[in-house]
Amino acid sequence: MSEHSLGEFEELVLLLVAANNKEAYGVLILENLEEKLGKKVNVSAVHVALKRMENKGFVESSYGGITHERGGRRKKYYSITSIGKKVLDQQYEVRNSIYQQIPKISFGQ
Amino acid sequence: MKAQPPKRAIKFLRWFCREDYLEEFEGDLIELFEKHFETSPKKARRKFFWGVMRSFRPGFMKAFYKVNYSITTAMFKNNLKVAWRNALRQPFFTFLNTSGLAIGMAGALIITLFLHDELSFNKMFADADRIYRVNIDNRTAGETNHFAAVSSPLANVMQSDFPQAEMITRLRVSNSILLKAVDVEQNVKEDYVAGADSTFFEMFGLKLLYGNAKNALEKPNAIVLTKTAALKHFDLDEALGQSMVLNNDEVYVVTGVMDDLPKNSFLRNHQVFISLSSFDDAKSLAWNTWSFPTFVKLRTNVTQESLQAYLSTVKDRYLIPWAMTFMPGLTVESAREMEKSSGDFMRFTSIALTDIHLHSPNIEDELSTNSDIQNVYILAAVGLFLILLACVNFMNLSTARSLKRAKEVGVRKTLGSSRSGLIKQFLTESTLVAFVALVLAIAIAALSLPYFNQLAGKAISIPFGNPLFWLALLGVSLVLGFGSGSYPAFLMSKFAPIKGMKGGDVNGNGGRTVINSLVVVQFAISLFLMLGTFVVFQQLNFIQNKDLGYQKDQVLIIDDVDATGKQIEAFKNQLKTIAQVENASLSSYLPTPSSRGATTLFPDKSLGSENALIIGSWDIDYDYLSTLGLELVAGRDFNRKFATDSSAMILNESTAVLLGLSPEEAIGMRFTNDFHREDKENMRYFTVIGVVKNFHFETLRNSIDALSLTLGGKPKKMLVKLNAGDFSKGISELETVWEKFAPGQPFNYYFMDDSFNNTYDAEQRLGKIFVIFTSLSIFIACLGLFGLAAFNAEKRAKEISIRKVLGASIGQITYKLSIDFLKLVGLATIVSLPLAGYFMNRWLQDFSYRIEVPWWVYLLTAFMAVVISILTVSFQSTKAAMSSPIKALKQE
Repeated sequence: MSEHSLGEFEELVLLLVAANNKEAYGVLILENLEEKLGKKVNVSAVHVALKRMENKGFVESSYGGITHERGGRRKKYYSITSIGKKVLDQQYEVRNSIYQQIPKISFGQ
Repeated sequence: MKAQPPKRAIKFLRWFCREDYLEEFEGDLIELFEKHFETSPKKARRKFFWGVMRSFRPGFMKAFYKVNYSITTAMFKNNLKVAWRNALRQPFFTFLNTSGLAIGMAGALIITLFLHDELSFNKMFADADRIYRVNIDNRTAGETNHFAAVSSPLANVMQSDFPQAEMITRLRVSNSILLKAVDVEQNVKEDYVAGADSTFFEMFGLKLLYGNAKNALEKPNAIVLTKTAALKHFDLDEALGQSMVLNNDEVYVVTGVMDDLPKNSFLRNHQVFISLSSFDDAKSLAWNTWSFPTFVKLRTNVTQESLQAYLSTVKDRYLIPWAMTFMPGLTVESAREMEKSSGDFMRFTSIALTDIHLHSPNIEDELSTNSDIQNVYILAAVGLFLILLACVNFMNLSTARSLKRAKEVGVRKTLGSSRSGLIKQFLTESTLVAFVALVLAIAIAALSLPYFNQLAGKAISIPFGNPLFWLALLGVSLVLGFGSGSYPAFLMSKFAPIKGMKGGDVNGNGGRTVINSLVVVQFAISLFLMLGTFVVFQQLNFIQNKDLGYQKDQVLIIDDVDATGKQIEAFKNQLKTIAQVENASLSSYLPTPSSRGATTLFPDKSLGSENALIIGSWDIDYDYLSTLGLELVAGRDFNRKFATDSSAMILNESTAVLLGLSPEEAIGMRFTNDFHREDKENMRYFTVIGVVKNFHFETLRNSIDALSLTLGGKPKKMLVKLNAGDFSKGISELETVWEKFAPGQPFNYYFMDDSFNNTYDAEQRLGKIFVIFTSLSIFIACLGLFGLAAFNAEKRAKEISIRKVLGASIGQITYKLSIDFLKLVGLATIVSLPLAGYFMNRWLQDFSYRIEVPWWVYLLTAFMAVVISILTVSFQSTKAAMSSPIKALKQE
């Protein structure tokens, strides 16, 4: 298994981290995901994806400040690394180039 | 106030979650919780819980993430990987190893479950450890018998002068009954019925599903049914308060419905409990009828010894004074004197409730059949043998394989592996095999358990839900893995690296000797079991074909013929007109399981207590002897022509022996059982008119007791002797007649020889269980031998090739390869058979009528062992001998 592999769900989470760079944290990603996908997602699934990608070096994280929200717990903000960005770009390119090859298909009528 | 997330969930999260993730996760979960809380607090809590549960995964756990970084786990992982690869590289040996161990474990597992069931008997009752039953040990005429039921007044007497008893309850043994709801025609037969005191439920901590346990059995004509029995007549919730007819005679009221009784209890079969006050003799003051199993619950801290001490005073205080009222001249002293001179005795003893099932075999009037602790020991030994065999296999094959691994060990050592590291590697391998075998064993056991249950008459299941069970299994397989892996591990790790890499015989002679002695042990055990099985079956065969002194074949027994009421004689006569019926007789007493009765007889004019004769007493009719083919050794049979035969008596030979007379001398003697009578002149006497040849009416474990036969009684069974022919036609004709005389009553019939065979059910089952496990053990031993032979052939491949090239024939080579193993099997035979013979002879001592272990059984066992091992070994040997020499020689 390649070190740079990226699962479908992981890819979605990584996209959201990139989109909300340095502002992304568990709940925010979760809510964005639920909105885009239109279905319920468990927060621990997001955690699993984030921690895996952190181990692979696609994202990095840092703690925010202490606030009164969340029972006083700090948020952990994620940002995309250069490797992560590269993987995303590659993924996008591959899909895009294949997508371009699709001839005009007519579905009847 | 702010909403608080569930505390327990947070606690749990903090407990397992690794520190560097915790704050983030907790924060996210709390934030979500707060958001959800606004819409629905319930949902928020549920989601929080779920979130925590979903985070409970190895990657997020403290333990795992720490462990992952330790060198020990890394090595362990590596060991496991190497073990796995090794297993796959030699699939044949791995298969032999694992399957042998799995089969052994599965067998041992089933035996363990069986034994656990046996040992747990009666332990489910409340305060079972404080409950005891009073028994009677009685010895007359040199024959000791044990009785589970005692005299009726004992309970009352104890109640008043043994305050250490918290509670005393009597049951009463009862015959089977016919039962029906009042407004229904059809009777249902219940075989397992008992009378019970009102304290019965409290005594054993039993609860009623319907009805009041406190007073359900208080009044006469009250009846409590189990769920099963109740459902035969009513819907469960309607049963309470219904009236029922018992034996087509009396009306009883259902005062309670209880759950079915546990399968591993002495009441497992019982379906119906009748209030004790319904029995005429419940208030009887007679000490000489023993029909009441009496249970005592002792107060806490009262020992069985004090109960025993009390019981030993009962006889002098109550029984003898009672007997003195009708036995002139009897005193406590004379009774004692008499016991001393004759060696006879009668005493009250006690047995713990939890001991009843295994520690009181051969006891009479027992509520359900008992097992024997001896069988538990035997099976435990067989289970141990099985495991031992499997382990020996495992050790042998691993040790033999060590040669193959010598190079690996050499390389590892050269590269700096320590000895302990190597030992760990090999132990990991053996433990891995043990665990795989464990999984297989559980699967095998689970699949075969239903069949075993059927065979053993049990309802055992694997306690999958019991954590202790899993713990025990894991423990055992660890011990097995370590135990059987240790020898090869230490042996292999010992190799000098240079020797190993050169590929010489690194085993030396040490390994060889151990392997050889293990093979001897294996075969010794298998031979032992094989001989045991042969002997058990010989004995069973002997019993079943022994001349019993009566004809049990083609005799049909019809139960509950008293249902025909006054027409019973007419019914019998009508039956006799059927062409296929040779003869018919009415009686409750049969040589196969049925009623038993005893009486006290005094010879004419000698009422002295020293002349009392307590012997079996059966009521029969004129056709009894001829129907069963009983032979007379002196005198004549009952005959309708003699009106006086109503007071005639026929004795068996044992009685004559007991009297010290020859059969001829006994004819004409007069006996009375009427000694209670005030006016001694009018006592009723029986005159002996015949002596019947001894016939076996108890199991062949016992010798034949004294017995007297008289006419009369209230017969409940009909014996029908059929002549050979179409039985089903005969039976249907019988049924037609039955329908005419007893419409609506169940027509219950069975053949006498079936009933006889059922008496030896326990031995039959034991025999079959023996066969199964013996075959298993032989199979395992053969697996091992097969593996060793294969290995040996492989190891000596070059030698064989050179021999072949130099002109050895296939036969010679096969012989050369096989003879070593056969020597071992021969040695095992010499060691094992005398030992097995000794133990089997001890087992046989339990039977009054037994076989001598014949010499040819030993021979047959040895012969079979040799044949089986030749078959096992020669396959591999021949294969090796026939292979082309080039193949083995070209590799270097």
